[in-house]
Amino acid sequence: MRAGSTIAKVGRRSASRASRLYLFVLPATLLFVVFIAYPILWVAGQSLYVGTSAGAVFAGLANYRTVLGDPTFWTVVRNMFLWGVITIPVQMLIGGLLAYFIERHTHALRGFFRTMFFLPVVTSVSVISLVWVQIYAPYYGIAQEYLKRVGIVMATSPIGDPETAIYALIIVNIWQWTGFSMLMYIAGIANLPSEVLDAARIDGAKGWRLAVHVIVPMLAPATKSLLLLGVIGTLQTFPIVHLMTGGGPNRASEVFGTFIFKQSFVLGDTGSGAALSVIVLVIALTLSLIQIAALGARLTPAARQHP
Amino acid sequence: MMPLTRLRIRGMLIHAVLFIVLGFWMVPQIYMLSIGLRTPAQAFDAELFTWPVTFDNFVTVIRDNPLGAIFLNSLIITVATVVIVVAVSSLFAFACAILRLKGSIFLYTTLLTTLMVPLASMVLPLAILLQNFGWVNTYIGLILPYAALGVPFAMVILKSFMEDAPRELFEAARVDGCNAWQTYWHVALPLVRPALVFVTIWQFIVTWNEFFLALIVLTKSEMKTLTIVPMQYSGLYMANPGALFAILTLIALPLILLYVLVQRAFVRGLLAGAVKG
Repeated sequence: MRAGSTIAKVGRRSASRASRLYLFVLPATLLFVVFIAYPILWVAGQSLYVGTSAGAVFAGLANYRTVLGDPTFWTVVRNMFLWGVITIPVQMLIGGLLAYFIERHTHALRGFFRTMFFLPVVTSVSVISLVWVQIYAPYYGIAQEYLKRVGIVMATSPIGDPETAIYALIIVNIWQWTGFSMLMYIAGIANLPSEVLDAARIDGAKGWRLAVHVIVPMLAPATKSLLLLGVIGTLQTFPIVHLMTGGGPNRASEVFGTFIFKQSFVLGDTGSGAALSVIVLVIALTLSLIQIAALGARLTPAARQHP
Repeated sequence: MMPLTRLRIRGMLIHAVLFIVLGFWMVPQIYMLSIGLRTPAQAFDAELFTWPVTFDNFVTVIRDNPLGAIFLNSLIITVATVVIVVAVSSLFAFACAILRLKGSIFLYTTLLTTLMVPLASMVLPLAILLQNFGWVNTYIGLILPYAALGVPFAMVILKSFMEDAPRELFEAARVDGCNAWQTYWHVALPLVRPALVFVTIWQFIVTWNEFFLALIVLTKSEMKTLTIVPMQYSGLYMANPGALFAILTLIALPLILLYVLVQRAFVRGLLAGAVKG
């Protein structure tokens, strides 16, 4: 720690003036304590209490037992697993391909393609959800109509069938966020050291061989960040599901976000809402820390790497 | 010249494929605009395009709805959040990267855990906290939680840019008699301008489109933001898709236009501090 000498360097001042420098970190710390740390501690405490007519009563792990015994919880776990396992690789693949062709094979239209494919990210998610409800709609929606013309006939709306609802929602999510993966890979490709690419080309690596054996491994930092952000993003999924199916039909497309929302704000069951919040938090922290430790994944794809 | 023509043909082919993919990718947006431009007679046609088009729906929804007031709610909350995030995170990054205050790296690591917290697990405790503060249906009730959630990301980016800045400049500022505040304002901030622009735009997008917390905190209709009003219009215009999709187009438009205007600066900031292999 060079901290002590640096304070002296910034100016030889008394202890009280040096401590005034802590005003630089005070606002961020206050925001963190009041709006992040305190709510987390509160929700962890609250998850141990059950609300009764006489007020909250300490109940140990009763809320957790209730939540884990609820079949909906396991539907949510399955849906979240599907969501992450499908969304993350598909977004990486499409986003990576788009980034590769846009960066390496377009010139005049590069900015145009970069912007257009990113537009779903900046389009309000509630607008997107309602548009996709219309696309999927029976009779007047275009999805069923156009699929019929190529020979695929659907008996029901894809979001009205418990078997297919979650996949129909996953498609919307992939569509919305692929532009983000694309942009992260664009940043990665634009910063590839040209000496390495030239060396590989001299060695005879061209086209796909260059892409697969040289570029893909060099984009590993972006891929790891996207995996980490994808897992956290999956766990906080809410608007698309809430607006398109409300977790239905028959709770088949329920995710953590909608489940917490219902328990806490519709049923007013703060105890199990809190237990669920803690479970989601623990899953997110565990999966994140594993990735950071095992893969060296970073939370901010746009930050530079430091030795 | 054989190889040149082959290269040209390949280039054209790649462009053609990109345009086809983009055409499919834009279907939802095209469909939204297309329904908004329909007459009531065509509104339920299962077609991507219909003819003729009319602007009547846009005229109706603009006349009948307080879109300006809703837009203003979004703008106030977003601008205030962005200003706080940029100010607070750059101060913090300066303390870590340049002042190297004792304990600042510990604080930095602690604040960083915020990035691993899914919003879904924060909405219940934040809702209760805001209720206790009496901040339900207030701007501040969204601004401060948004700022707390946004600061860690901005702080990481700004810290890494400040660490990459030439240290001699900070030494020179000290020799010239600048105190810490002056160094922050006159040296550090101008040096990390691309990062400030990037952080500003990203925070603007995220805040403008935030849905979950806004849904819970803003229940009064005069407080609602553009992101959470579409639901009420989907009920209001259930029998009139033309009007519904006209208003959805208008709701989505401001941020899309803004992004198109600033995308160059946004991508430049991203590339300047991008992932290194």
